[in-house]
Amino acid sequence: MSRLTRRTFLGASGSVLALAAMGRPAFAQAAEIRHFWWGNPERDKRTFEVIEIFNGKNPDIKVSGETLGFADYFTKLTTQIAGGNMPDVIQQGYGVLFEYIANGAIVPLDDYVGKSLDISRMDQSAIDAGTVDGKFYALSIGANSHMAMYNTRLFEEAGIVPGETFDPYGYTYDELSEFAAAIKEATGVPGTDDNTADYQNFSDFVGQKGAMLYNEDGSYGPTQEIVEEYWATWEKIRNAGGTPPGPESAGLSGVSDLALMGVVTGKSAMTYLWSNQLVGVQGLMQDKLGAAMYPNTAEMLPGSVVQPSQFVCLTRDSANPEAATTYMSAFVNDLDMTAVLGLERGIPSQSEVRAALQPNLTEVEALSVEFFDKIQGKTATLPPPPPSGSGEVEQTFERLAVNVLLGERSIPEVASDFLAQAQAILARA
Amino acid sequence: MQKFFRRNFAGYAFLSPWLIGFFLLAIGPILASLYLSFTKYNVVRPPQWIGLDNYFYMFQFDQRFWKAMQVTFTFVVISVPLKLIFALGVAMALDKGIRAIGWYRALFYLPSILGGSIAVAILWRQLFNYDGVINSILRLVGLDGPYWLADPKYSLWTLIVLAIWQFGSPMLIFLAGLRAIPQELYEAAEIDAAGPIKKFFAITVPLLAPVIFFNLVLQMIEAFKSFSGAFIISGGAGAPLDSLLFFTVYLYNEAFSFLRMGYASALAWVLLLIIALFTAIAFWTSKYWVHYENERG
Repeated sequence: MSRLTRRTFLGASGSVLALAAMGRPAFAQAAEIRHFWWGNPERDKRTFEVIEIFNGKNPDIKVSGETLGFADYFTKLTTQIAGGNMPDVIQQGYGVLFEYIANGAIVPLDDYVGKSLDISRMDQSAIDAGTVDGKFYALSIGANSHMAMYNTRLFEEAGIVPGETFDPYGYTYDELSEFAAAIKEATGVPGTDDNTADYQNFSDFVGQKGAMLYNEDGSYGPTQEIVEEYWATWEKIRNAGGTPPGPESAGLSGVSDLALMGVVTGKSAMTYLWSNQLVGVQGLMQDKLGAAMYPNTAEMLPGSVVQPSQFVCLTRDSANPEAATTYMSAFVNDLDMTAVLGLERGIPSQSEVRAALQPNLTEVEALSVEFFDKIQGKTATLPPPPPSGSGEVEQTFERLAVNVLLGERSIPEVASDFLAQAQAILARA
Repeated sequence: MQKFFRRNFAGYAFLSPWLIGFFLLAIGPILASLYLSFTKYNVVRPPQWIGLDNYFYMFQFDQRFWKAMQVTFTFVVISVPLKLIFALGVAMALDKGIRAIGWYRALFYLPSILGGSIAVAILWRQLFNYDGVINSILRLVGLDGPYWLADPKYSLWTLIVLAIWQFGSPMLIFLAGLRAIPQELYEAAEIDAAGPIKKFFAITVPLLAPVIFFNLVLQMIEAFKSFSGAFIISGGAGAPLDSLLFFTVYLYNEAFSFLRMGYASALAWVLLLIIALFTAIAFWTSKYWVHYENERG
């Protein structure tokens, strides 16, 4: 170890300064763009590869990627908003997106359309979904729907055959209760996750009951009867032995990490997620996955919707929107890049990209496409964007539902408590 | 005045890195948060002055605020005394002049270095999981352990145990305090036929009182501020059923999950006042039980 004297210190800092001064013009040549997304290992791998392809093709733009798990993504984004240093390009989901637009954190893309941003081959429905008050804000990078993913090996061992004893695109909660218990009987693994504390399934159920999550005036839609019936339905499946024990499901309430899902950990044979997550979940498993819709009531009213899974958006902190939108445009149009992205973020909303992907689909991607074909005509229309405060209502649901899972309080009592709190949250938001 | 500055300039110059840091990085944000606590502020839009509304809402309507108070006070009241008793016990055992005492001291201090870290909280979650180490051991002796983390009856206890496990720093301070007690007192007591219990309460406790008081205040403040363990083990939201909704976890949720920075700032100030109040109470009661050797009695 050499001793740091005053002279060597001054000399070293001097050369650092000189280097910094000389290095500057070289850096200034390429526009630096930061792209931030929430992901999983599979998505991160693909996205970083795509960034490299883009940087290779565009020497004047240098994109760098940043990624976090979903749970921490919005926390970090919030602090970046406050600090005025949001990345140029961020990923957004249907729902929170509208709060960011309302607050001005995301800026309209209309000025760049037809110049640096090409949306000429995008599906009109995808463009509409990213448009608010006549301005285009959000570029859809894939369509999505609710999907139940099941372990085909466990289903087979229990003699549950899709298309014969089980219709993946139209089965009732009663049927689920029966075959979930049968799977537990045959394999020792409960047939399904317990969705008592799963707001996604609850939102489906509300649609299946012919109601809406939010009324036109923004007030909360579900009634006491619907909430009670939902929890009673899952209680029945739980009591029949088809789910893991209540306390175990309680421990998973609000968890978003794919590696902890029942079908991955082997604690259940079926897990309920978004269709685009199929690729990520399969990547964590040995057994082959099957795809199904969420269960339905006997009336078979549609409850799931098809919606953009994710968008890329331009933030108000972007210093170089031209370069940022050039990157965004390539992200949805460049066939080399979209080939790498595949269906991992959902079914692409650009027709040419879809056609190019078709011949080279992997098995699990082909399953996603098949799922999308099969659910056509069985889904509900996309509701208007949820009001602000909806995220908190969701968390409140997941928190209070734990009472039901643990049998701490009666279902009617928890249901009325939840509805009272939901109304209060919406009134305060 | 000028003379004062000339005389003390060097001192302030040497202090300046700390002073600049304090004024820029501590005082600034503290004052900003005081201002924000009187506003509605969602980060994206500029803050909007709403007077005392945040404080009114907190005390009148916010059920989760009261739940957070309950959880935090339960944690402080149970974990702090237990931790101090445990630390004192270990310190007394180590004070017996064992060989290689340095090793033991380091060994017992180790959990406190690791204690606040995320890794230990994750490890804790693994230990207390339903199929974790603790339940596996219980199963060996034929017991079916509960869902330690998912059942609100037990979840807080896992964190209390975690807190007690981090007894290292009060232990070291106790150890130093024990060393300062003159041995003649014990010898004199032995001549008068005092047993170990008598010696403990008649000599050790009174002479150690200033050290106990110091540890009590320090640990109490730390327990009120406790965050990372509860955050990790509760999945960031105080689950299950808000049984791990520590004040700091609630504050974090309001600030970063629901973007109510104004309200969260108000919560932070209430926490500060609570800590200040309890520290003041501790100092006030100390008159009656803490005696310093150099005081005239």
